[in-house]
Formats: sequence, structure tokens, C-alpha cells
Amino acid sequence: MKRYKLPLAAALLAATVLTGTNAVAQTVLRLDEVAVGELDPGKASDYADSILMFNVYDTLVLPKQGGPGYVPHLAESWETDGNDYVFALRDDVTFQSGNPMTAEDVVFSFDRMKALGQGLSFLFENVDAAEAVDERTVRFKLSQPYSPFIASLVRLPIIDKKLVMENLGEGEGEMGDWGQTYLSANSAGTGAYKVTSHNPQQETVMERNADYFLGVPDAAPDTVRLRYGLEAATVRTLIAQGEHDISSQWLPPEVIKSLAADGAQLLQETGGGAFYIKMNTAKPPLDDANCRLALANAYDYAAGIKMVAITEDVAQGSPSTGAIPVGMYGANPASDILERNLEAAKQYLADCKYDPSEFTLEISWIGEVPLEERFALLMQANFAELGIKSEIRKVPWALFTEQVTKPENTPNISQIFVNAVTGDPDTLLYPMYHSSASGTWQSPEYLDDEQVDAALEKGRTETTAEGREAAYAEFNDRLMEIAPSIYAYDRQSIFAASNRVNAPALSGDPAQAFGLDGMGFSFRLMEMTGE
Amino acid sequence: MKRTAAILIANPLSAFGVLLIAAVVLGAVFADFIAPFPEHRGAVVDFANFNRAPGWPYIFGTDLVGRDLFSRILYAYRISLLLGVVVLAIAVPIGVTIGLFAGYLGGWAEYVLMRITDVFLSIPPLVLAMSMMGLLEPTLTNGMLAVTAMWWPWYTRLVYNLTRGEKEEGYVLAAEIIGASRLHVIFREILPNCVPSILTKMTLDLGFVILIASSLSFLGLGVQPPTPDLGSMVADGAKYLPDSWWLTVFPGLAILVAVFGFNLLGDALREILGVDQ
Repeated sequence: MKRYKLPLAAALLAATVLTGTNAVAQTVLRLDEVAVGELDPGKASDYADSILMFNVYDTLVLPKQGGPGYVPHLAESWETDGNDYVFALRDDVTFQSGNPMTAEDVVFSFDRMKALGQGLSFLFENVDAAEAVDERTVRFKLSQPYSPFIASLVRLPIIDKKLVMENLGEGEGEMGDWGQTYLSANSAGTGAYKVTSHNPQQETVMERNADYFLGVPDAAPDTVRLRYGLEAATVRTLIAQGEHDISSQWLPPEVIKSLAADGAQLLQETGGGAFYIKMNTAKPPLDDANCRLALANAYDYAAGIKMVAITEDVAQGSPSTGAIPVGMYGANPASDILERNLEAAKQYLADCKYDPSEFTLEISWIGEVPLEERFALLMQANFAELGIKSEIRKVPWALFTEQVTKPENTPNISQIFVNAVTGDPDTLLYPMYHSSASGTWQSPEYLDDEQVDAALEKGRTETTAEGREAAYAEFNDRLMEIAPSIYAYDRQSIFAASNRVNAPALSGDPAQAFGLDGMGFSFRLMEMTGE
Repeated sequence: MKRTAAILIANPLSAFGVLLIAAVVLGAVFADFIAPFPEHRGAVVDFANFNRAPGWPYIFGTDLVGRDLFSRILYAYRISLLLGVVVLAIAVPIGVTIGLFAGYLGGWAEYVLMRITDVFLSIPPLVLAMSMMGLLEPTLTNGMLAVTAMWWPWYTRLVYNLTRGEKEEGYVLAAEIIGASRLHVIFREILPNCVPSILTKMTLDLGFVILIASSLSFLGLGVQPPTPDLGSMVADGAKYLPDSWWLTVFPGLAILVAVFGFNLLGDALREILGVDQ
């Protein structure tokens, strides 16, 4: 009995302290994502990273809520001057450290992004330099016309230069490690939320920044706990017991379905993306386009759509019409849906230089996304009808991102959900299919095709809507011809959530939505209901 | 035979074990005839019938791509039993031989052989198998290899201890005095006297080998899909608890039945063969 006394006393004490100090109840928002949560804004690339980045940091512009286009955010306004863009900055913004935000910080953030060359730095390939004209004016110098530039700026988080310079780690040159060690564990932004603790494999805890330049509404959560790597069954139970608020989008549809049946609300986000089944074009047998076309025709598109249905009117996907999601420049009309054609598949396979009896395809699926296992089994069964043997491999996300850096280690087939990281088609398609961008999780195809490269370059330099439409339509046609991927379905992210939180930007109301993946998770726009 | 029957009648639990194992073995061997959907062992998907709760004709329900769980469990038993038998067929002769030599020869041979055995025994079995599987491709053969590598030392230990006792017995001394060779003494005199203990342990172990192999595939290191495997079925189904409970409960019960059955059978065998605890 004696052993229990101490914890009991501690619990009583804790209870007293909690009731004593919580005159105003703290609201806590709890959500989860797949590990790893990369806090360094220069390295952020996936969904978990985006949630962190959009809350801890701010950017010069934001996507317009409820419509296309971009609005000033840290910037007050901007104008173009030939290939250059000149931004006037707000003068009332301070970092979480208390340092004022100036043009120097913008230049530093840009230079750091370029110097590290990681994450989404490829968005700024065509930007030669950023210069501080004066304390409140920044000039970006572009090497050529680049129409998605303004869109790209939603991926240039502004970092507190002074704070980072005080915390430089060791490294070559005067900038040392560019603050990588510091920024992987600490926040140095202007954002509405600051990080109080961060373990990239387990949890990031954030609390509201009372000095945020736009103010944080009272209804927004005081504390946010973003947990990583929770099992689907755990999330299912936690939400049902009222101990979790928003699930990740990676829950299997059955689990979301049963949560919805228990009364959970469904949140949704459409960020211009699709589910791509990617084929390694740098390794036999899928280096032969006929083999790839055989697979693309053998795949059962309708069964895939059926698999991701949640309720009668909510699904994680809609039929695909080609390489570009419906609604973007160059997309085929919504009525041109892709369908299975086994006869055509057999024809293509007969023209392929490899004999199906001589190879076994490696079909990988991301361990954190159980739904992909079913797609792997679907493909295995579909391809078996052509006489193609395959092996299914479960690959954890961290291992996958490592494997794709070398074509020989990249599986024949990988399954990836990709969204336009800035909302612009260029950022969806260029990182996947341009030959210079191969070898990332977005581009395990290792595609190297002159026509594709040319169309992509045209798409980003054309400044008129018609010009871009034509360039991407040409790109789409070429991609259907050489089939580096199977375009499985256009996707929609669905999250199950408790009724303790309202998230207007994720409610499915187009007037409240941002056309950018992850932006709906701006916690300052969420409301805790107090239930 | 009479004695065996008498022991089984006197001990209904043992008889139950025999029944369980008979059912498991027959189910596995005649899966082609018993399974309602034998084709569901392979790369088959049927999205018209996915995630069905137990009912007719899917008595254990269907999985998330529409395959009959009952059929898959029968075929998974095949893999499990095959794995158990192969692992023991390799591990037991190796372990027993080393144990016999170490126990009988003594001296340097004993020292070297038993210290090597101790090294293997000092690593937690699952950790050893996991690290081997981490290095090798996850296939059935490599799974067997990994489990074998962790299994033989237990037989070395057992037989070593038995041999040390037996070698002082009169019949061994007698054989030595009439000039029998060492090999003769080891394999013709001592070994036959160890067989009952070895057989009993093998029966008990069959269950545990199945359990360890399932643990490996639960961790994704065992047999790869679409081949049915109890451990990976439990692992895959766990994500859909508590709603699609049949995905986990039935494969889990199947493991339980096999392990429990072999344990009871081992106990029965111990009594029938008159082995001391």
C-alpha cells in the first residue's frame, strides 16, 4: 500500500494546482501527422512540415482565401519591374524573439534557402538574388520570366536573421551551418504560434504568440499538440474518447467512415493534387514505355475510386483524366476519365522489349499509409492478368525518401500523393517530371524526356493564361504517350475531427478554402468550441 | 499403445491438445479441399465483397481487398507448419550434435562449444532474428534461416546437460570398457537415451517457432504478400480495430490455437514417454 501514497499525493497536488491556476481554461488542439516533423523552414517539404511552417513562420504573400490569386501578408504591396519584383514590407511586424522584421531578414531567408538547396528550394532556381533596397523594401532579381514566382513565395518563410546569427553552429565559411542545428529544434519566425517543445519523431508543442502582428482571435487554440506517427487504431480510439481533435489525412477510408458514423465531423481540403503511381523509368523493365503503357492500361481505375469512398458524397478522390488534376491549366475535361483497357494493355506488353516471364516488379507502399497496401494488392492482381509477377514491399517513409536518391535503389513502382506545393501547376509538375528534378520522393520516375522538359519550361515562362494552358495541355498529351506514372485519381484530403474544433478553411466551403495544401491548418483561423 | 490411450483418457487436456493439433494439421494439409475460396491465397482482389463481417459464405469475414479470411488462415497454417518443421529439422540436428560432443568430450571442446552457444543464448531471440532479417531480404527462406539461427542453442544446452548425466551411467562405462569408439558411444549409446526429452521439447517448440515467425512477420520481416501469414494478418488488421475486429481476432485466435495445441501435445508426450520435468 505504501508504494501508492506518493503518486496519489502528487496527483492530488497536481489537481489542486491545475484547478487553482486555470481560472481561464486553456484550450488545447490535438492533431497528428506522419513523422518526421521538419521544423527547419529551409528543409520543409511534406505535409507535416507545411503545418509547422505555416504556423510558426509567415511569408510575404498568402493564397487568397476563397479565390484564386495571392494577397500581401508580410508584404504591403509589390510591383514588377521587368523580370524583377519589388516588395514593400509592413513596418509593424516583429519576430517571436521581439526583433523587428526588416528587409535584411527577407534577404537572409532567401540566401539561406538557396545555400542549403534542400526542401523546396528548387522553386527559386530562376531567382538570382534578393537585395535589401532599404529597411522596408526588397528586390528579387529573376534570371528569366517566371510566372509562378509570386506563388512560390508562399514557400519562402521569413526567418529572424539576428536570432539565427546568434546561434550559428559550426560549418564551412562565415555562415557556419546557417543555423541548421538551431532551427531544427527552435522557432525563429513571426508566426501566430511559437514552438515550446519539438521532437521530430514524437511531438511538437506550440502555443499562441500573443504579439502576432495580425492578432490571434480568442477562439483560436491556446496550445497545439502535433503528434507524429500515431497508429490508425490509436487515432480511432483517441477521437472516439474525446482525446484527439483532428486526424491526419492518411487514415484508411474505413476508419474515417466509422469515425464519421460515431459523430465525428469530416474536414476536407483540395489543394490541386493527385494520387500518382510512379514507375522507375531508369531501370528495366519499366525503362520501356510500352511496358509502362501496358501497366497503365491494366490498372483498374474504377476499383481504386471505389476504395477511397467514405460516404455517399465524400470521397478521398475523384476520377483522373490525365497527368494534370481537373481544374488546373492543361487538364483534360472532367468527362474524359481514364479507364482500364486490358486488350490495349496486352498489345503494349507484346511490343515491350522485355518478356514478362523474365522479370518481377517491385511494388512498394509507404508503411505509414495503410491504404497504399490495398493499391499494391490491386496492382498485383491487375498486373497478374497480364502474366506479370510482382512483389509487394512495405517501405517506411523515411527509408523511401532515402531510397529514391539513387535510381538503382528506387522501386519499380512507388505510390505517392502529390499536391501543388504553391497551388500553381508548375510546382506540382516540374518537381515530378523535369529531368533536372529527378531523385526526390516526388520524382522516383527519373524521367528524362526533352519534350516534357520543353513544355514544363514553357509553362513557367509563359505569362498569359492562354499560353500556359497550351503549354500544359501539350505536356499532358506527352505524358499520356510515355506514361511515366499511372494517374490513379485526383485527390481530396479528408480528415476526421472531433466537435471541439471548427475549421472554416477545411469545412469544404469554397469561399473559405485556400487553394494550397496545408494552409487550411493555420491554427489562428480555427475555433475551439469549448465542448 | 494402450498406455498412450490410458494417459490421454486420464488427462482430457492432453486429449484436447491432440484434437487441436489434428485439426490444424488436417486443415493445412487439405486446405485445397476445405477452403471455400482456395484462390484467395494469392493475388486476388474482390472489391464487391471487401471488409465483410463474418457471415455466409465468409465465415470469418473478408479482408480489405475482399479475400476470405477463413481460406487464408488455412493456407497460413501451411506456411507456419512448414516453417516450424523446417526450422526444427535444421536446428535440432545441429544443436543436438554440438551438445553431445560438448557434453561427452569435455575439456577444450566443451569450453569452446558451450561458450559459442552462450553467445547465441545471450542475445534475446527476437532481436537476433530481427537483426538477421534486417540484413537479409524478407522471404520465407530467410525467415526460416533467422529463426533457425536462434533455435539450435537451446537444444545444445538441453542435450549437453543430459549427456553429462548419461556419461557417468553404467551402460556408457561398459561400452567404453569393451572398446567402443567415441562416435559409437555418442550416437549409439547416449543419443537414444536423450531422444524422449528431445522429442518432447520439439513438440513444445513447434508452437513457439510459429509464434516467433508470426512476430517477425507482424513486424513486416517475414513472408511477403500476397502469401497468407498469420502474423502479418494480425498486423494489417490491427489498424482497423475495433471496427473490423475480425481482421485481427481470427488470425490471432489461429495463432493461439496452434501454440496452445502444441503445448498440450508436448505435455501429453512428456507423460507418454516418461520424461522428467
